[in-house]
Amino acid sequence: MAEPPSRLELPQGTLDLLILKAVALEAQHGWAISERIQQISKDALQVQQGSLYPALHRLERRGWIKAEWGASDNNRKAKFYELTRAGRKALDAQTGAWRALTAAVDLLLDTR
Amino acid sequence: MFSDVRHRLRALLRRGTIERELDDELRFHLERSIEKGVRAGLTPDEAARRARLALGGMDQVKEAHRDARGIALLDTIVQDVRYGARAMRRAPVFAITAVATLALSTAALATVLTLADTLLYRRLPVERPGELVDVAAIRRLGTTPLLSSNEAARLQVLGPVSYPDYLAFRDGARTLTGLAAHYPTAPLFVSLDGDGHEINGAVVSANFFSVLGLRPSVGRFFHDDEDRVPDRDRVAVISSNFWRTWLSASPSAIGSRLRINSADFTIVGVAPPTFSGMTSSPIEVYIPTMMLRVGYRWCEDALAIDCTALQMIGRLAPGRTQADAAAELPTLMPAAWAHAPRGENSGVAVTQPRGLSTDDEEPRLVALLAAVAIVLLLVCCANLAGLVSAQSAARTHEFGIRLSLGAAPRRIVRQLTTESALLSLAGGVAGVLLSRAFTGALAAMFFAVDDEGHPLQYGFSQTPAIVIATIGVALAAGVVFSLVPAIRIGRRPAGVQLAERAPTSRWSSAAWLLGAQAAVAVAMVAVAALLAASARTMLAGRNFDASHVALIRVRPRLVKYSPERAQRFQRELVRRLEAVPGVESVSMVGIGSVLGGSSIGVALPAWDADRRMTAGYNEVGPRYFETLQTPLLAGREFDEHDSIESPRVALVNETLAARLWPNLGALGATIVVGSVPRRVVGVVKDLSLRSRTQAVQPWVYAPFWQNPAQIDSRLAIRTAGDPAAVLPAIARQVNRLDPDVPIAETITLPGRIAALMRPVRVSATFVGYTAVLAVVLTAIGLYGSLAFAVARRTKEIGIRMALGAPRGRVLGLVVREGMTVVAAGVAIGLALALAAARLVQHLLYGSAESDWVFYASAAAVVAVVGLIASLLPARRAAAVEPLVALQCD
Repeated sequence: MAEPPSRLELPQGTLDLLILKAVALEAQHGWAISERIQQISKDALQVQQGSLYPALHRLERRGWIKAEWGASDNNRKAKFYELTRAGRKALDAQTGAWRALTAAVDLLLDTR
Repeated sequence: MFSDVRHRLRALLRRGTIERELDDELRFHLERSIEKGVRAGLTPDEAARRARLALGGMDQVKEAHRDARGIALLDTIVQDVRYGARAMRRAPVFAITAVATLALSTAALATVLTLADTLLYRRLPVERPGELVDVAAIRRLGTTPLLSSNEAARLQVLGPVSYPDYLAFRDGARTLTGLAAHYPTAPLFVSLDGDGHEINGAVVSANFFSVLGLRPSVGRFFHDDEDRVPDRDRVAVISSNFWRTWLSASPSAIGSRLRINSADFTIVGVAPPTFSGMTSSPIEVYIPTMMLRVGYRWCEDALAIDCTALQMIGRLAPGRTQADAAAELPTLMPAAWAHAPRGENSGVAVTQPRGLSTDDEEPRLVALLAAVAIVLLLVCCANLAGLVSAQSAARTHEFGIRLSLGAAPRRIVRQLTTESALLSLAGGVAGVLLSRAFTGALAAMFFAVDDEGHPLQYGFSQTPAIVIATIGVALAAGVVFSLVPAIRIGRRPAGVQLAERAPTSRWSSAAWLLGAQAAVAVAMVAVAALLAASARTMLAGRNFDASHVALIRVRPRLVKYSPERAQRFQRELVRRLEAVPGVESVSMVGIGSVLGGSSIGVALPAWDADRRMTAGYNEVGPRYFETLQTPLLAGREFDEHDSIESPRVALVNETLAARLWPNLGALGATIVVGSVPRRVVGVVKDLSLRSRTQAVQPWVYAPFWQNPAQIDSRLAIRTAGDPAAVLPAIARQVNRLDPDVPIAETITLPGRIAALMRPVRVSATFVGYTAVLAVVLTAIGLYGSLAFAVARRTKEIGIRMALGAPRGRVLGLVVREGMTVVAAGVAIGLALALAAARLVQHLLYGSAESDWVFYASAAAVVAVVGLIASLLPARRAAAVEPLVALQCD
C-alpha cells in the first residue's frame, strides 16, 4: 500500500459518528464524505473507503440519515446523504458520549 | 424501527434497483477518486489503480454492503438462484440435458414407487383402514411336482373358510368390533331388460359395509335380518359404476329388479363411488351371504361346513392390536381343524390388508423394477457428475476471476450447489409429472384386463409421500453430482487459475464414470432384449400357435343345467361355431383352461398306491391340438369316436412319456389317471407357460366326452383372420342357442397370454426404457467429455499438427481415447449382463441357446453408439488449423 504509515486506524464504531458529523451541515455524497473526513482531520484519520458504503447503508437503515439522488457539482448523478431528525439526536448523544469517554481516558492517562 | 423494516423489505424486493444504485454510487466514487489522482499529477492508469486499491475489492465492498442490508442469507440464496438461472440460460444445452436426464430417471423411480404403493402398501379406501385385519385360515401343503421350489418352500397357504366356521369366529371374537365375510370374486351373470353380461360380484355378510365403515350413496345396505335365512331375501347392492353404466344413475333404480344367475333380485342401495372392492377386480354387485348358493357353484351346498368359500375381514376393537387378534382368534378355531389333513384349514392368520397384490410374482416384479430404477438413477448421477464437471471446468476462468476479485470460495461452492439444486428441483418436478403419464400408460397397457378378459381397476395414484420422495431423491442426486466440482473449487488456492487457463491433462478423472455408464448400458440392452424376446416367444406360442385362436367360456352350470342338457348344448354349440365364417376349427377344455390345468395323480398299473406321481390334467375335446397347432409326436389325438361308450384313452406330453416309458413304447401302454386306467393313444409336444426356472410339467389329457359329469367348457376357436374380430359373432351364437347361458372370458389367446405374462412385459418395457436411456446417456457423456477435452487441448493438437502429425493421426487419437473407455465398459458390461440375466431368469422363457445373440447385439449397439459419439469430436479435432490453434490463448 502506498499510504503513509502515520495515519491512524479508526477505533471500532467511530466511523458512524464521523459520517454523521460530516453530513451534519449539508447533504453530501459518499465521495465527499470520505474526502471531508480526511481533509478536516488533516489526513490523520484513514477511512477505509470500502467500509464507508456499508456504514452509510447501516445508518440509512437505522433512520439516522436519508439518501436522495441528486446532481453533483460537475452535474453528475450522485447519491446524497443528509441527517434526519433522529440522526441529529444520535449525533448529539454520541458526541456527548465520545467527549465524556475521551475526557475520562485523558484523565486516566494524565494521572501520574 | 419502521425505517428498518422498510429498508429490509426494499432491500429484499427491490434487490436489482439497490444493486444498481450501489454500482452507480461506487462508480461515481471511483471516478472522483481518479480525477483527484490525475489532478495531483498521476497518470490516469496509475490513478485508477490507486483508486481501486483505496476502495478495496469491489466484490468485497458489495458483499459487506449486502451484509449491512441485514438480509444476507436469504438474499444470497435469491441471488444465487437468479445467478443460477442466468447461468442456465447461458448454457441451455447443459441445463436442458441435466433437467431431462433427471426427469426421465426420477419419473421411472416415481412410477415404481406408485406401483409399489398400489400393489403392496396402499390401504383400503375406507374409514380408519389401519384398524382392519384380514383373518384367514392357514393350510399346510405337501410337496408336489406342480409346485416350484420356492412355492413348496413355504409349504402353507392362506385360504377361505366355510360359513359355519365364519359364524364361530364372528360370534366369539372379543378383540374385534365386527368380523365380516365376503367372497369377492363371484361371477354373476346379470341381465337387465334382456341385456345380459357376466360381471364380477361379491357375496358379503350383512355387516360387511358397517365393518368397513362405508355409507351408501343412495338407498341402504343389507339389514341383519336379510342375512339370516338361506335363499329367502333376494336383495342386492350395486356399485356406483354399475348404477351409472347400467341404470344411468337414476334414483328409481332403488327397488327395481335385477336378474342374477336366473334369480330375480331387488336393488336396495348403491355403494359409494370411492369403494370398488378389495382387489383389482372391481365389484359391481353385492348379494348377502345367505345367497351364496347363487354366487358360488363349486359346492353341492355353498353354506355347508365342508364348503370353504368365504374370506374374512374384521375391525379391531378400540385399544386392541393386530397381535391381540392374532392371539385370540386361533382359540376360536373349530375343533376339527386341529387334526385336519394336509391341504385343509388347520390354523388362523391375522394380517393387515395392504395393497392389491394377490400373488408373490408382484412383490418380485416391484423389487426388480426398483433395482432397475436405482441403477438408472445412478447412471444419471454419473452422467450429470460428468456434465457438471465439464461445465464447471469450462467456467474455471469465471470462478478464477471471481475468486481473485475477493469472492469467498465458500460463496462459489454455495453458488454451484444452488445451481445444481435448481436443476435437480426442476428435474424432480418434471419427473413427477412425467411419471403420471407413465403410470397412466402402465395401467392402460398392462393392468387393464386380467387373463380372463375382465376389466381390472388398480387406481394408480401418486401419494404426497411419493411426490416428496421423488423430488427429495432428485435433490439428493443434485447435491451428489455437484459435490465433485464444488470440492475442487473449495480446495483451489485463489488467483492461480488466471494464467493457467488451458490445462492439458487428460480427462481420465471422468473416464471411470463413463466406463461404468457404458457397462450398465450394455447390461440393460442385453437384459431388455432377453425379456422382450421372451415376451415375444410366449405371445407367439411355443409348441403352439396362439396368433389365430379365440377363447370363450360358457357356463351352463350357473343356470343349473343338468349334465345331459349341458352336453347337448355343447355339441350343438360346437356344430354351429364350426359353421361361422372365418372359423377353422373348434375344440374345448373341460377341466382346467387352455394352456392351464388342474392336477391329477397318475401311475402305471404295476405301481403301488404310494408311487403315484402328480401331473397336469386337462379334459379336451376332439381337434384340440389341431386348434392350437401343437405337433403330435406319435399316435393320434382325440376324435368323435372317443365317447362315453368307447374304451378310456389318454394323451401324454413328451415329458410324461419320457418319465414313464424311458424306452419309448408309450403308445398303447396303459396309464392310471386318477383311478381310471386309460390306454395312451398319442404323445404331444410339451405345452407350457413355464419359465426357465420352472421344470416342464408332465401332463396327461383325457377326452372331454368321456366325462359324463361335463357341464361347463372353455372353447378354443381357430380363425382364419384376426381372432378378436370373430369374438362377437361367437358370443352371438351362444346367445342364440340360449340367452340365459352365461358367457365369460371372451378374449383372444394372445390377449390371455399377454395378461399372464404381465411381469415379463412390464419388466421388458421398463428395462427397455432404461436401456435406451442408458445408451443415450452414455453417448451424451462420451461426446461431452471428448468434445470438452478437444476444446481444452486445441493448443496441444495445434502443436502436434504443426510438428507434422497428419489429420488422420489426430482423429485416431481422439477416437482411441473414447473407444478405450467404451471397450472397457463393454467388457465389464457383458459380465454384468450375464449376472443380471440370472436375476431375471424367472422371467425368461424359451431356450437359452440363442441368448449369445442378445449379448453380442448389446455389445455391438453400445460400441457403435460409442464410436459415433467419439467420431464427432474427433472430426472437430482433426479440423483444427495449427496456426489458429496456436494463437488462441
